[in-house]
This record gives sequence, C-alpha cells and structure tokens, in this order.
Amino acid sequence: MSKRSKKPRNALMRAENRTAYLCLIPSIIGLIFLTYVPLLEVFGLSFFSWKGNGFKGFTFVGLQNYVKLLTTDPYFKTSVAVTLYYTFMAVIGSMIYSLIIALLLNRKIPARGFWRAIFYLPYLLPAVAVYLGWNWLYNINYGLFNFILNRVFGLPRVGFVNDAKLVAPSLALVSVWLAGNLIVIFLAGLQNVPKTYLEAAEVDGANSWQRFWHITVPCMSPIIFYNLLMALITNLQVITPALALTKGGPGSSSRFVSYVMYQYAFESRKFGYAAAVSVMLFILIGIFTVILFATSKSWMFSQGGDD
Amino acid sequence: MKKLFAILLCVLLVAALFVGCNNTDKPAETGSKDTNAPATNAPATNAPATDAPSGEKVTITYSYWGTPEEARDTQAILDKFNAENDHIFVELLAIPNEQYTTTLNSMAAGNQLPDCGIMNENGVLDFAADGLLADVSSMYEGASSMPLDSITFKSNGVPVAYSGANEALFLYYNKDMFDAANLAYPDARTPMSWDEFVNTAKLLTLDANGKNATDPDFDPNNIVQYGCNVDNWTWQLEVWALSNGGRWFSEDGSACTINSPEVAESIQKVADLYLVEHVAQYRDGLEDSGIQSTIAAGNVAMATGGAWNVGTCMNTVEFNYGVARLPVMKNEVTIVTGGPQVVFSQTKHLPEALEFIRWYSQIENNWGLVESGIWMPTLEEYYTNEELTHKWVDNPNFPPYDEYKAAVVDYTMEKSVSTCWYYVPHTNEFLEYLRSELGPVWTGDKTAAEALAGADAHLQEIFKGE
Amino acid sequence: MEKHASLANRKRRERVINSVCFLLVVFFSALCLLPIWWIFRSSVMSNNQLFANDVPFFPPDWLFSNYPRALQNFDFWTYLKNTMIIIVPSVIAGTVTAVLGGYAFARMRFKGKKFLFTLVIGSMFLPVMVTLIPLYIMWTNVFELNGTYWPLILPYFCGGGAFNIYLIRQFIMTIPRELDEAATIDGAGHFRILISIIMPAIKAAMIVVALLLFTQMWNDLIQQSLYIHDAKKYTIALGLSQFKGSLKQDYSAIMCATCMSFAPGIIFYLLGQKYFVEGIVLTGMKG
Repeated sequence: MSKRSKKPRNALMRAENRTAYLCLIPSIIGLIFLTYVPLLEVFGLSFFSWKGNGFKGFTFVGLQNYVKLLTTDPYFKTSVAVTLYYTFMAVIGSMIYSLIIALLLNRKIPARGFWRAIFYLPYLLPAVAVYLGWNWLYNINYGLFNFILNRVFGLPRVGFVNDAKLVAPSLALVSVWLAGNLIVIFLAGLQNVPKTYLEAAEVDGANSWQRFWHITVPCMSPIIFYNLLMALITNLQVITPALALTKGGPGSSSRFVSYVMYQYAFESRKFGYAAAVSVMLFILIGIFTVILFATSKSWMFSQGGDD
Repeated sequence: MKKLFAILLCVLLVAALFVGCNNTDKPAETGSKDTNAPATNAPATNAPATDAPSGEKVTITYSYWGTPEEARDTQAILDKFNAENDHIFVELLAIPNEQYTTTLNSMAAGNQLPDCGIMNENGVLDFAADGLLADVSSMYEGASSMPLDSITFKSNGVPVAYSGANEALFLYYNKDMFDAANLAYPDARTPMSWDEFVNTAKLLTLDANGKNATDPDFDPNNIVQYGCNVDNWTWQLEVWALSNGGRWFSEDGSACTINSPEVAESIQKVADLYLVEHVAQYRDGLEDSGIQSTIAAGNVAMATGGAWNVGTCMNTVEFNYGVARLPVMKNEVTIVTGGPQVVFSQTKHLPEALEFIRWYSQIENNWGLVESGIWMPTLEEYYTNEELTHKWVDNPNFPPYDEYKAAVVDYTMEKSVSTCWYYVPHTNEFLEYLRSELGPVWTGDKTAAEALAGADAHLQEIFKGE
Repeated sequence: MEKHASLANRKRRERVINSVCFLLVVFFSALCLLPIWWIFRSSVMSNNQLFANDVPFFPPDWLFSNYPRALQNFDFWTYLKNTMIIIVPSVIAGTVTAVLGGYAFARMRFKGKKFLFTLVIGSMFLPVMVTLIPLYIMWTNVFELNGTYWPLILPYFCGGGAFNIYLIRQFIMTIPRELDEAATIDGAGHFRILISIIMPAIKAAMIVVALLLFTQMWNDLIQQSLYIHDAKKYTIALGLSQFKGSLKQDYSAIMCATCMSFAPGIIFYLLGQKYFVEGIVLTGMKG
C-alpha cells in the first residue's frame, strides 16, 4: 500500500492512526453494538410495555414500569435484599478465605504448587456441575454436611438449600469454595511485596502482626481493591444458582435481582418490565462501584508510577 | 507496510479458519443426528430443507418435552409419520420439561417458535390471547368421538386448544409395605376419607427401631419409611381445595376465590402431614420430583401422582404397586390435565403443521404413548366403551385391569374436573407466585391461612392481568 | 552473644510457624477436596446405597458401571464436542482481538485514544446481565440467529472483553519501548513488532486471557439456555441441567454426569498449569 520511505511526519501519524483503528475495529464494534447501544436500548425499552411477539405491540408507558417495580411488585424489594445479603456474605467470605489461604501458601511449605492447584481446582469446574454437586452435598437426608452434623457431631439435620433462612448463606459458601482465582491473585500479590521493606521492619523490631498490618496490607491494597471490586460486580449479578438449583426458592429466599429480570422477560414475556429491572440492577451495581472507588482513595496505598 | 497487512491478513485468516472449522462441524453434526435416528429416511434432503424447501419435502419442527424415554417414544411416532408421508418431514425439537415454557416464551420473542408442538398447560391461554396459536378448530372434524370436555382449553368459552393426552391424579401405593404391616389394600372404587388416610399413613410410617407413628415411643427424627407423600407441586394442590369444598377460581373463571377458609384448610392439611403427623418427608413444592423420589424410590408407602407415572417410572420399580382413588376431604374429586398439541401462528408452513398435528392427535398414531401408560386417551369413547378400555389398559404396563379401571378410568369419567389452566389465564405467573408464598407453609413458618391472606392481593392482580 | 541467641530463637519460631501453616494448608485443602470426594463417592454407589439410612463415607463397592449407565441418557461426548465448538473459536478470537486492542492502546498514538480507552474501562464495570435483553432481541429478531451457536461465539470476535484488552495493554506497557524503537529503526512495522517482539513477551498474559475466556464460557448457563433449544445442540452446562430435570432422583447417575463434566477443566488445567501460574503471578503483579 503506502511506500515506507521518507515521509513527512504527519503522513506517518496518519499511517499510525490507520493501523491503530484497524487493530481496534473488532473492539470498537463490540463496544458500540454489544455494550453501549444495548445499554441505551435497555433504558429505552424500560419505558415501554412489550409482550415480545416479533416487533409488534410496543406501548409507551412512561415511568409506569418503575413505579410498579418500586411499589407493588411482589418480588423486587425482596430480591434486592436477598441479593445484597448473598453478596455481602459471598464477598466477605471469599475475600477472607482467599487471603488466609494465600498467606498460608506464602510460607515456606513443601510442594506449594500442588497445594495451590488444589485450592484453584474448584474454579475450573463448570458452574452447573458445581451447583448440582453441592445440592447433593446439602441434601437433608443423605448429604455430606448432614453426614458431618448428624453422624460426626450428633446434631439435628439441617435443610441447607431447603430452608429459607439458610439458602443464601449456603449458596454463598459455594461461591467461597469457588474463589480459587482470588487465592492465586492474592498469592501473586504477596510474592511481590518488597522483601526489603519486611526485612527493614524486622530489624526495627516490628512483630509479625505489625509487619502484616503496616507493610503487607498497604502493598496489597490495590490487589485487595481489584479483587473486592470484581467479586462485588460478579456477585451482585448472580443468577446461576437460582437457575440451576433453587429456582428462587424456597419461597423467594434465593430470588436474586437477575433472576427476577430473567423470569419477567423469559417466563412472562414482559420485556419492558424486565428491562426496568435490568436498569435497577445497573443502578445498584453502579452505586456500589462508585462507593468503592470513592472510598478507595482513603485506604488504598498507591506506589505511584502506573497510570 | 505491505508486510504489515500481510501479517494482519494471516491473523484474520487464522480467525476465519476457526470459523470455517466451526462451519464444517455443522454438517457433521447433522450427520450424527441422523445416525441417532436410523429410521429417518432422507438424511441428504433434510439438512438443506430447513429453510428453503428445495426438494419435495417440507421440513417442519415439532417441539416436545419429557424424559428421555418419552422422547424416544415420540421420535418413533415421528419416524412413522415421516415414513408414511410424502411431502412433510417432521423434526423433533426436544426441550426439557423444566425449561419448556421459558424456552417457548423466549422463542416467541425472537419470532422463532417451532411450527408446532406440545405445550405446557400453564401457558396455553396466554399464548392464545397473544395470538401465538393458530386456529385448530378443524382438528376433530369428522372424528368418531370428541375429546373430553374437561381437557379442552377455552378462552371465553371458545375452544382454543385440545390436550394431546389426558392425565388424572390418583393414589399409588406399595402393596409389599401394606403386606408387611398387615393392612388391607385401599379399595380401588371407594376412596378413604382424609382421616382414614392419615391413620393408614401413620401405621405405615416406621422409625429406625421399627416402631410406627402411632407408637408412643416413635422417634420422628429417625424415620426410615414414610407412610405417604401428597405432592405439593403447586398446581396439584388445586385438587385438595376442590376436595375440601373450596375453589381457587369460580366455575366460570370470572373470579379468584383462593383466599377462603376451605382452601387454606386444604393446604394446611397437606402441610401437616410433614409438620404435625410426621408421616411424610419435607417437600419444597418446587417441581415434579414427588413420585420418583418417594414411592418409586421405595421409601414411601402411598403417594399421589399423575397418571403418566405408570409409564415413566412405576414400570421399573421392583415391588408390587397398586392404584386407588385420592382420599376425600369432603368431596370425591380429581383433576385432569394434559399438554395440548398446537400449531404456532409464527409458522411459515401452516397447512403442513396442521396436517401433522391432526395426524398426531389420532389415537392410533400415538398409541405407543397410550399403551405404555404415559398418556391416557383423550377421546371419551375409551372411557365409556369397555372394549376400548380393555384395548388400552389390558397389558403388562398397567396394574391389574379391574383395579386400574375402577381407580383411574371410572374415576376420571365420574369425578374429574378441569385443572384451572383450562379456563383461567396467567396461570404460569399465578402458580409461580403462589409457590413462592407457600414456601413458608411447608416449613411451618406460616400457616396456610396467613400465607394466602398475604398473597391474595397480588394473586388477584395476576389473575386480572395486572 | 544475645543477638545470636535471638536469631536462633527466631529461626526456631519461624520453623514452628511454618509447620503449623503447613498443617493448616493440609487441613484446608482436605476440606476443599471433601465436596469433590463426596460427589465422586456418590457416583460409584447405587441409588439404594445412596438412599440407605446409614450414610457411608466410603463407597461399599466401587460401581464404575454407573458411568456407562449414565452415558445412556447423558450424551457427554456430544455435549463436550458442542461446548468445544463454541469455546475454541471464541477463546482464540477473543485472545487475538484483545491483543490487537491492547497493543493499539499501549503503543500507538491516534485520534480519540483517550475517549476510546475510557469507553473500554467503562464497559468493564457494565454487568453482562443488564444488556441481556437487548442483546437477545438483537440476535434473535434482527439477525435471526436463535437456535445457533453464533450469538455465543460472535461477541468474542468483537474485542474479547474490556478487561482482557486492559490486561494486555498493562502488560505491553511493562515492555521497554526501546525494544520496539530499535525494531522500528530496523524497518519493522507495527504488526511485525507485535508478532516478533510483543507477543513472545506477553505469552503468559495471553494464556491468562485465554483461561479467563475459557472459564467465562465454561460457566455460562443463562446465555446458552437462551440461545440453544435443541437437545442435540446442548453444551455440557445445558446437558447437565436437563439431565437433572429428567432424572430427578437418580442421584448416582447425576453424580456420574457431574464428575464427567469436572474432567475437562481439570485436564485443561494440568496441561497448562505452568503457564497459568506464571501468567496469573504476572496478573497479580499488575493488579
């Protein structure tokens, strides 16, 4: 195409422009048509009532969907509470669990790679299989957990996923088990904590707790932030356990926001109304993301340099 | 720069190669599909014919739900049709029962419904109201007998769909367990009263020490055999409301009367089998898991269930089982239901789809499903003409003829009424919401009366369509 | 003298702590494996044994014959093949487009770079669930691709996900610019630099991206269930969820199917373990 000889500077720039856009074409298409346009569409659709029979029967209803959602809807408020409850436990649980395991694995122990692989393993199993398996583990009569409770400790049996009060914590426990990737990321972060700082602190007489709290944690804070943010976003839009296992039950105690949206859209064909649920989910996740970013400045330790 | 683009081209080629791989896999897939069903006669023409009927045959899609065994029986029926018919080829689209309504709904939104199919009962009237069903009024023109009125879907009194099968609810019991407890079998013609049923269940509930539930030393925390399981799969609860003299909906479908003392009492009685009497296992009412995990699994003596279980799971059990009428709270009653065969209005092959559905609805063509015990016939004459009843029931797939005739065939004819979805719209949402509100009743956290009172306002809203 | 004693003391204490940690690691990993053991143990027991009143921890006999029995109704190989038809092109396309995008953002100057990059970062925080409905309408009503694998594959030809672009960009930025400048002087163009200098240097990152894409699709149930209806086209996730639905309480068969679906992920990990760990360690470094 263009000759690569002596060219004026702006011609070079133009060539670079062209190459860059060429590289970015797929991403730009994706950003426009699979991300931002659908986002606008979901906002638009939420002001309509549409039963989803081809492209027929759109009725503009204004804010009616939102009004109904926030006042008389029988599922929505519960679903927000359930989702937040689940997310709180899943995020806190998996952060603590993965940090502890990472700290343990960061010591000098034999066959570290092997142990790391074991903790990472659950992350690689297909989610549906995991929930099917855990459903069986939670079985009130024949499951592992009741085996332990009843046989080993002689306690009464518990219906983990059959009990409205226990289903969200039980599902959160599964998500803690699945946190293998967080462990590996934490572990990588721990190995990058500058040894010189730790040694210097040790010479200054800091005990291991002080070293952990004043050096390890600050150095790890960007990684903690990243893990926290991603765990939060993933868990707030949780749907697979409801879809694969509980169907939102018992009662509505595992009816997550995403599942409510799914049911309105694909079981009742109320697409406009479901779009309003999507928008509320977007706002919910937005609020948490903003809070996290806003507070991060006060606790995140920045080493600087990186843009 | 040229090199640069050459490299980019290579990258794109690599990418395209994989798309290509993916494409080449598709015909292979169609091929394997055909080997799965060796009886399909024209594998070469069927692949391209899906969109453009280039050859002689028009390919239409028939959607179906059910267990793998049912799917195999259905495929055999389609194979028969495909072999006989010279201008239509029917492909089976097997969708699991659990996801069936959702899948059809999402397909409707995508304007991608199959040409025809069986439908889940709870969505029929809504599909009809939204214009998604084609007119099937001509289906039984010139037939010797009409389908039972109780299994005809009506919107404002006008038939919109006919059930392809009939299914009544009745009681299954384990004869071996009755023998072991020295109890007489339930009579096939005269039902037990609810109290008799509970007492029998108590005698059949055993703890680890072999004591039954009437024994003062009975240990309810260590039950090894349960006396009964009354399925609390939400739609089946309607039968107990009727039995107790209540109604979910008025007879003409114009009012929702679920929040009544009779209905509440009927639900409470079912819940109390687990909560108070300790004769049943806990069930969350989530899905049709009743009979497979209870009586068919061999740890429950009596269980309520639909007629299809005769052919889908009771045929493999290792004990002797019998059938009887449902126990009676106040009125002797059962409910009937059955997925209708419909043609979807989005089809591009309306005449062909109608022709196939008409063919399929003739009993001689779906005889395999009837004979195996999965379907009960829809035509009235099979219930009234004893010769035809013999033809249907007198085979080893069924319990003894006299027993089944009295407990199921005559029961259906004499005492059955339509399940609510035959004349009430929005039952899909209604039942889903009802299920979620009844959750605490099964665990004993709420009484049925409290749950119904709390749910009534929104149930009325759903019933009225917002 | 005193210093020496405290050093020895400290070393001893360190050793004690390390062995306590090791014991804890062993304990936790046993806990972590326990669910998998229970699932496996259930897969080699008969239903009667599973539903027996004394719940055994070890299977009374090892009924591997459950597996062929489960395979009669659980068409594992077809599901695996179908899953791979979706995953293989998507992983490759997603990785390639992420590398191209990340490279452009890391090394090139062009108009609107800041704006585009903001869009990319912004979309990282956009939940997939929110755009599910409009995308469904687009794929089915506009492109009429319902019932095919395209709605599951095509998105990965469009950028491979914002996070992956960002990750690749961060990695490329750690490579000293002097390297490509030297190559530029030698007359190499951008793509030449990308292939001969950048890509070898970010191999680990590319593998991490591929792994992330793999697990993303491996775990997806909702989109697969929306777009694929035909049981013959089922993926492992769909096959499993329908298998559970159709068999209800045949738990030994369900556990066989579950165990079988565990296998590919484990094999995939064992094959690429070295690279994953290296790559993820690097990911951690970039945070």
